[in-house]
Amino acid sequence: MLEIKDLKASINKKAILKGLNLTIKPGELHAIMGPNGSGKSTLANILSGKEGYEISGELNFNGESIKEISVEKRAQKGIFLAFQYPLEIPGVNTNNFLKTSLNSVRKARGEKELDTLSFLKLIKKTSYELGIDEGILSRQLNVGFSGGEKKKNEILQMKILNPKLSILDETDSGLDIDAIKIVAKGVNTLRNDKKSFLIITHYQRLLDYIKPDFVHVLSHGKIVKTGCSELAQELEKTGYKKIN
Amino acid sequence: MNQNFQINSKQIDKIQKITEEEKNFRIKNLEIFKEEGFPSKKLEDWKFSDFKRIVDNNFDELDTKTVVSHFDKVDLLKDFEHNYIFLVNGNLHSSNFDFEDKNKIKINSYDKSINYEINKNPLVCLNQAFAENGYSLEIDKNYKFNKVLVIYNIFTNDIKNKILNNKNKIRVNENSELHTIEYTINESKFKFINNVLENIILEKNSKLKNLNIQRKKNEGIFHKYLKNNLSLNSNYTNLIFSSGTKFNKLDIECNLIDQNINCNILSALFLGNNEHNEIKTCINHLAPNCKSYQQVKNVLNSNGKGIFQGKIYVKDLAQKTDAYQLGKALLLDDNAEFNSKPELEIYADDVKCSHGSSSGSIDEDSIYYMMSRGLSREQSKKLLIKGFLSDIVEHIKSPSIKKFVENKLEEQISEN
Repeated sequence: MLEIKDLKASINKKAILKGLNLTIKPGELHAIMGPNGSGKSTLANILSGKEGYEISGELNFNGESIKEISVEKRAQKGIFLAFQYPLEIPGVNTNNFLKTSLNSVRKARGEKELDTLSFLKLIKKTSYELGIDEGILSRQLNVGFSGGEKKKNEILQMKILNPKLSILDETDSGLDIDAIKIVAKGVNTLRNDKKSFLIITHYQRLLDYIKPDFVHVLSHGKIVKTGCSELAQELEKTGYKKIN
Repeated sequence: MNQNFQINSKQIDKIQKITEEEKNFRIKNLEIFKEEGFPSKKLEDWKFSDFKRIVDNNFDELDTKTVVSHFDKVDLLKDFEHNYIFLVNGNLHSSNFDFEDKNKIKINSYDKSINYEINKNPLVCLNQAFAENGYSLEIDKNYKFNKVLVIYNIFTNDIKNKILNNKNKIRVNENSELHTIEYTINESKFKFINNVLENIILEKNSKLKNLNIQRKKNEGIFHKYLKNNLSLNSNYTNLIFSSGTKFNKLDIECNLIDQNINCNILSALFLGNNEHNEIKTCINHLAPNCKSYQQVKNVLNSNGKGIFQGKIYVKDLAQKTDAYQLGKALLLDDNAEFNSKPELEIYADDVKCSHGSSSGSIDEDSIYYMMSRGLSREQSKKLLIKGFLSDIVEHIKSPSIKKFVENKLEEQISEN
């Protein structure tokens, strides 16, 4: 699904990723942990296609290099990033935005675009499944949303767009336990042997609800340790110092 | 003064059936105009809109002679049911009030009553000297319009190098309500100037909502001086969506002469290449407990230039005034320009007055966020632009009119 080889990235001449290797196979869920400033969000941004980084190394998605592919094309190919800080877009209705978004992805996949009625049915069903209040859908995109509402909205978008690879950038940060369960539910209900996940988190807590196949520790722009879910528990006790 | 601008005082002599007093008033105005000429940026009120330069750059010759034009009927809007009047080159051509009780409505081609007051705006003086056409609309007491009134403001193809001076008047009497849409259709291939003086009088408890919009982009040069006198408990809203003209200056004076008046001036504009649009306001709070709200939003592309000069004046006895003013611009190009000059002059001590102004470019992080959901850059940009202007459009209550305005804005955005 995803193959990263010797990925180096810098922004304004400052090196952030310094030779990162990571392979995620279909059906796998990988968690990435690591201290602040280790390059976790940069990795997420680069995978989604954000501009402004100088990049070298290989970045393959389903056997195809995506290094030169634009943000929206990557989204259409099935890469989804749940933002650490979802943006507020004034004047843009959440429902309309989601519909436009879903239909551009469906169109790219060669699927029929959904009309308003079928879309509303889908969104109603999905928000009900996740336990998300439908009220947020008629509001302006993320405007005046609480931190929790913003993150829930990201998970709702993830569910609706049904991506092949979902990247969650600290989606659990700042969330109460009920909201974390919604995030976990979003991931767990999408999870199957064809879909992959990359979950960036600071806390073991989320991994109590989402069982990762692999846990990686990212430090100073490189993966310094890889293990199974026990590694996360160990980190919770000892911190990152020992690993460095 | 433009050498090729032919002003002929004899034209005043030709105006029929006027009193000596009116004639003298016209001559006096003409003299002021002759002395001042077209306003240039040297005048404070014109510092962002150099009208003299516009005239010099666009016309080799100009005259004020009135024209009798050939006019083929235009198609009525199908988006919503409406009453209508046709103005052809500013003159009343015909009207239709089939949705209303016609006994309650008076419509005439010209209002003869004159307020013998000299305005310091030279273009108003020019208008006062020559205008002998336009329309006058009066709504009787206690009458609420069933449907909106569309004022089709049509400019024909045979006006070349003309300055059309028109004078309009709308009076809404006690307890009455009117909703108008001024819809400009410019079919002229030639350049011309439309110089309008409009007087709106709202009597006690009356309500007027007006909306300005153009059919499509055009080369017209428009100036309008709008003088509004608002009485006790009246409610005035002006929604301005007049993008798409080469030059447009709207100078609005609102006199809030009694208590509990609500006055709203709202604008959402998308200005493209070489389009120049100025909204200048002067809201005079002359009595206590009134509210005024002004919000001007411009999206500016290529060489588009937007201006908002908003003044709030609060007289010493106008306590408990609540006045608000905001100018905001979204700049899509390095050559686009937004000038905002807020002015507050307050002589009362128990008032709430605030103003603000900001301009910025498209937020790249927002674009990135939207693109990460599969939208193209263009789609994302369009959504951001529409989103920026949306809170003004939200003031339109009728869904069909709102849809109509949204479609027009969409056209504007797509054309650029």
